[in-house]
Amino acid sequence: MNDLTKKKKVSAIPYLLILPTLFFVILFTVYPLIASFKGSFFIHRLNIPKYREPVFCGLENYSKLFQSEEFRLILLNTVKYVVVLVPVTVVASLFFALWLSKERFRKFRVAIFHPAVLPLVSAATIWMFFFTPDYGLFNSLLGLFGYKGPENWTGNPKMSLWALVIISFWKDAGFYMIYYLAGVQNLPKDVYEALRIEGAGPIVSFFKFTLPLLKRTTLFVTTVAVIGAFRTVDHVIVLTQGGPSNSSSLLLYYLWQVRFEHLNVGLSSAITIILVLLLLIFTITNFLVSEKGGDNV
Amino acid sequence: MIKKIGLTVLMTAVLVAGVFASGQQEKKAAEDSQEEVVLKVAYPVAVDAPVADILNGYATEFKKTHPNVTIEPVYAGGYTDVKTMIQTSIDGGGDAPELAVMLATDVYDLANAQYIEPLSDLLANMEGSDAYLDDFLPVFLENSYYQDKLWSLPFQRSAVVAYYNADLFKAAGLSEPKNLQELADAAQALTVREGDSVTRWGIEWPTGWPYWVFQPLAMAFGKNIVGADDTTVYFNEPEVIDAINYYNDLSAKYQATPAGVQGTWGNVVPNFLSGNTAIIVQTSGSLSKILSNADFEVGVMGIPGKTSGSYSVPGGGNIYMTSGLSDAEKRAALDFAVFMTSPENAAQFSIATGYIATSKSAFSSDAMKAYSAEHPQVAKIKDILADAGKELAIQNLGQVRSIFHNYIQAAFNGEMTAAEAMAKAQEEADAALADFK
Repeated sequence: MNDLTKKKKVSAIPYLLILPTLFFVILFTVYPLIASFKGSFFIHRLNIPKYREPVFCGLENYSKLFQSEEFRLILLNTVKYVVVLVPVTVVASLFFALWLSKERFRKFRVAIFHPAVLPLVSAATIWMFFFTPDYGLFNSLLGLFGYKGPENWTGNPKMSLWALVIISFWKDAGFYMIYYLAGVQNLPKDVYEALRIEGAGPIVSFFKFTLPLLKRTTLFVTTVAVIGAFRTVDHVIVLTQGGPSNSSSLLLYYLWQVRFEHLNVGLSSAITIILVLLLLIFTITNFLVSEKGGDNV
Repeated sequence: MIKKIGLTVLMTAVLVAGVFASGQQEKKAAEDSQEEVVLKVAYPVAVDAPVADILNGYATEFKKTHPNVTIEPVYAGGYTDVKTMIQTSIDGGGDAPELAVMLATDVYDLANAQYIEPLSDLLANMEGSDAYLDDFLPVFLENSYYQDKLWSLPFQRSAVVAYYNADLFKAAGLSEPKNLQELADAAQALTVREGDSVTRWGIEWPTGWPYWVFQPLAMAFGKNIVGADDTTVYFNEPEVIDAINYYNDLSAKYQATPAGVQGTWGNVVPNFLSGNTAIIVQTSGSLSKILSNADFEVGVMGIPGKTSGSYSVPGGGNIYMTSGLSDAEKRAALDFAVFMTSPENAAQFSIATGYIATSKSAFSSDAMKAYSAEHPQVAKIKDILADAGKELAIQNLGQVRSIFHNYIQAAFNGEMTAAEAMAKAQEEADAALADFK
């Protein structure tokens, strides 16, 4: 009887401990999200007197967005940006971690990590000069490898989005490396000793053991990388302003433009909801893919 | 009789109440004028000049004559950052800066969204307000009025100009271009190549944020892209299309400038100063930096016309008063705005920054006369401004400007022909302006 009573008695302490976080999550995430969801069903334009007060319009904002060529292009840009940036950055950060976990390469850690401590605005400003046509450092470096293609990274519609990907890769790969480095350093040494005795080569060790053992780290890094890729906007503002002709415009930048430049609150609320849905789709898919095959580590 | 007495008592009561109320108001006004007021003033500082030092000086100087008013400068990167700061503060019910320097062209959106207060009524109570307003160069007040009210005062103003390396012109036996053909020929003649690479471009015309630097070119062909009212744009006009084709010809036909969109605003002045570019289209706000760093003679001109003339548009920021201020704050804010724009300060600000002095008296001040005598380019810019056209100031500016930028950049990059791009731009801009007509 006493045991049963003990089992039923639930401590209030864990709930009390999460209260402050819950308060801020409700205030800064849940409430704005509900407000945006509600706002997305209204025409609410601050610079048009008749729409200064919201007017209900049903799904008009969503249908306007999906009919707009501009929005479809920006959506495609965002998906391209995330789909290319996240895998490339995550794979590179894993290889940096494997490389720099070795004692003799430790000294390179700072070099690889240092872009992560720069604010994105500073990183974009530095890269603005790296990308300068004719004499920019990046073009000069490519020239050493025989590159003779176009150099106008920020003005060429076929290159501007990739310029943003390059900056984010440069900045983020070193940061995600830290997580992998922690994961790699915690891998059980005896397993590798056994593998060595069994005669397993480095490729087998990596794919059969290292990668599965780092599954949790990979899930965390990929999730953070996806969220980070969706919410970066600073380098768009500094480097391209979404141009030329929206070729480098990303969803969050467009959201800012519609809300603060076009003063269209209703439409920007609809974009917010679409952005959150996209993030959820990417994150849940990531969880499902990562969790497939069981909780083996 | 009783009625008469009653009426007399009533009238006396009304009169006494009126006098009492008026006395109370005067007393309140007197109290207001002595009330401690703290004014936050938001400035964009991303310019080629030590604006923060100058504005800190203004705050200190103003305190000497207005001991009850404390000025707290709030610095932000550029005009967009200041505007976003004001919007988020007011929309979120926060404490927005009482004064802000924002683009003169933002007046319609800011007023419609009730972010700003008109200044007309406050100025009407100011002694000598007519003379004060008449003293501004008229071109700078063009975007200050809306709905018969004055909403902003000219402060940090500039114009589109072309700077040229006069030494290179002399060495090549060229004189200042008088028309667009001469400009293209000069740019071609001054371009230098070594093998496949270009060591000096004839001209750089940055087009990452193109409407402003493009407007004088369209005007040179005979049509401004914006109408006299606040809801008409002329994007799809033959003259505008000719202007785009001319820009494209500078690279394709004359090989005198890099091809396509050039998002290189920040590189253009260093390229010019280092002799890597012979002519640049830029803001007059870079004048001080260019004059103090150039080791060659610097020429300044407007964009030459198709056959003759000189074209430009004004630009830059005005001082706005944000909404929701108390009477005491409004009075103090107006006093500080008037102080900032006084002829003496306008002259000093112009000399220190390269921005154009906003008032006629500023140009006749001793300091400005001495500076102009030393740098004749200053007087030249004033002349260029005399014939300047209207900057793209329009209802729903943010959206209309984005539409224009998207399509003109598509034309510059060869993704669409100039005619196709401008037809689409006109169609979308008309739709974006439909709610305002």
